[in-house]
Amino acid sequence: MLVFTFRRLNLFLFTMLVLTLLSFSLSFLFPGDAIINVSGAVNATPTQLLSIRAAYQSDENLFWQYIAYLQHIANGELGISMASQSQISTEILNLLPATIELSLVALVIAMFVGIPLGFIAAIKHNKPADNIILSVSMLGYSIPVFWLGLLAILTFSINFGWLPSAGQISLLFEIELITGIQFIDILLSDSPYKWQAFGDATAHIILPACVIAVAPATIFIRLARTSMIEVLGTSYIRAARSKGLTFQQIIFRHAIRNALIKIIRHVGLQFANLVTIAMVTEVIFSWPGIGRWLIESIYQRDYTAIQSGLLVLSCFIFVVHILTDFIYAALNPLARGKKHGS
Amino acid sequence: MNLLDIRNLSIELVNEKQNILAVDKVSLSMKEGEVRGLVGESGSGKSLLAQAIVGVLDEKWHVHADRFHWRGIDLLRLSIEERKALLSRDIAMIFQEPMACLDPTNTVGEQIAEAIDTNSLSGFFWQKQKQRHEGAIKLLHKVGIKKHSACLNSYPHQLTEALCQRVMIAIALARRPILLIADEPTAAMENTNQSQIFRLLASLNQLKNMSILLISHDLENITHWTNTITVMYSGQFVEAGTTEQIFNKPLHPYTRALVDSSPSANFHLPAKSRLMTLPGSIPILQHLPIGCRLGPRCPRAQQDCVKAPSVTNFHGHKVSCHFPLTPIKSPRKWLKGVC
Repeated sequence: MLVFTFRRLNLFLFTMLVLTLLSFSLSFLFPGDAIINVSGAVNATPTQLLSIRAAYQSDENLFWQYIAYLQHIANGELGISMASQSQISTEILNLLPATIELSLVALVIAMFVGIPLGFIAAIKHNKPADNIILSVSMLGYSIPVFWLGLLAILTFSINFGWLPSAGQISLLFEIELITGIQFIDILLSDSPYKWQAFGDATAHIILPACVIAVAPATIFIRLARTSMIEVLGTSYIRAARSKGLTFQQIIFRHAIRNALIKIIRHVGLQFANLVTIAMVTEVIFSWPGIGRWLIESIYQRDYTAIQSGLLVLSCFIFVVHILTDFIYAALNPLARGKKHGS
Repeated sequence: MNLLDIRNLSIELVNEKQNILAVDKVSLSMKEGEVRGLVGESGSGKSLLAQAIVGVLDEKWHVHADRFHWRGIDLLRLSIEERKALLSRDIAMIFQEPMACLDPTNTVGEQIAEAIDTNSLSGFFWQKQKQRHEGAIKLLHKVGIKKHSACLNSYPHQLTEALCQRVMIAIALARRPILLIADEPTAAMENTNQSQIFRLLASLNQLKNMSILLISHDLENITHWTNTITVMYSGQFVEAGTTEQIFNKPLHPYTRALVDSSPSANFHLPAKSRLMTLPGSIPILQHLPIGCRLGPRCPRAQQDCVKAPSVTNFHGHKVSCHFPLTPIKSPRKWLKGVC
């Protein structure tokens, strides 16, 4: 397990290096002066510019410039925003937790809805239930997310008035920012209206999270269905049947675990897709997350913000990817431990 | 009374284009305490037959039989649940490729423990858990695995193929079956391991009076261990009799060819000469010949062979051929169609 962990960390390190290389090259590819793109100092005086140049070693060759850039990132200096002239690192620290919260809730919803439905479809293979689930998943997959988001607001917020349409929490509640993740902050705060705030935050997250979860859930349905059908056709299920186990025992003891192993690898891959959907949804639901901020930066041609935002988001996706790898290893005895003769 | 009595069992693969009769009216009967070999080339439907007996075939296979008796009980009259309960209690099966037949994500211990019949346990659930564990250890000792704790805690991929097969046998023994169906238990195993497994099966047969249906493609290899042998070809019944009858006086041209093709039966052959084999190969399922399926390859085939032959019985030596090898002296001695 130690070797496995070490390997994953190694992979993380090298992928991050490649990502920084990409974001470093972006500053040259964007229009304008590379040093201004990377630092965001559009209103700098000539003397300030000289010191920035010295800090980024722009007189040296590309390699030393890259090293200097890496040093800045390692120190948490991502430059200042071209549009607002505020520190990008603090902005990201304020916004990223909201996105993490939203996308993780959406991921949980997608998994808890999609995977069991897929299993049911596989167990009822070639029966009406299977066809219904499959066609509903096809429908869900083909609905564009921005349209679905607007439709959800129209139906549940405006027509029925059940759920709020925008924001993370009602402005009435004052929650001190500690971790940035709203639910944890609410639980940590000592406000007398803690539980009302908690309920309000829950009501706010339901609609955007469900809208985000639709497309990944349909993918999970199909993944779960195919992997379950595959598992149910294997020899060990046949052997378990000849052992005299009941169908429920076979499903719960043998089939689900083996099918989950096949799915969990794809969860990490799907997460990138989910974050993309979350970015669009954040705009629609005015969610104060990094996705909305990034899209606004793109509108404003805020190159420094785009550059660092991409770096941070991809880093986050990669961390989730590695976490799913660990879950995979925990579930699958073949992935962990020593391998002999291979 | 026969332990197992199956007559005219057919297995059909139901397809959109055409239905394929993979097993065509095969009869099989077994006595208590008997070791019967079921021999045929790969693709002759012997594994299908075994899986149909245990009832683990997929929905795409349609099974039909004229008679299916288990210890005098007519299974065709029972409901599917009753039949399944009865068969899973009394019949156990071990498969080829034991590694693939064990769940890769569960430890061997859990898989043996769950096969133990709940009715044989007593007390509260934690006591049952303990009994299950002890039962699993006992079963492992029975199949000759001494390091039980190491084996119980390991996953199937950590064990060798032969150990996995022993574990499979242990699982099969957990319900104290009356009949054990061993579907090529030693496929892809070394010679020493093969004979170990066979010796284990033979001792189980002698000590526990457990009947064994031993399925193999290798006639020569299993003759040491079996009392009686049934030969199949391409999904059809060929010949059944005691091991001596089959090996020494085969009546069917196919059995003759099987016996002749083994080197040890031909030790009188001069060096570097060819072994006797039938021309051609086993037909594929999509293009099965009508009548006797051996017809196109049979050295004795005549016009009558386009019709399926009926089973003829010579003193318990049954053969399904129009022109059996030993000439029949008086036709009155024929006993038609009793299996």
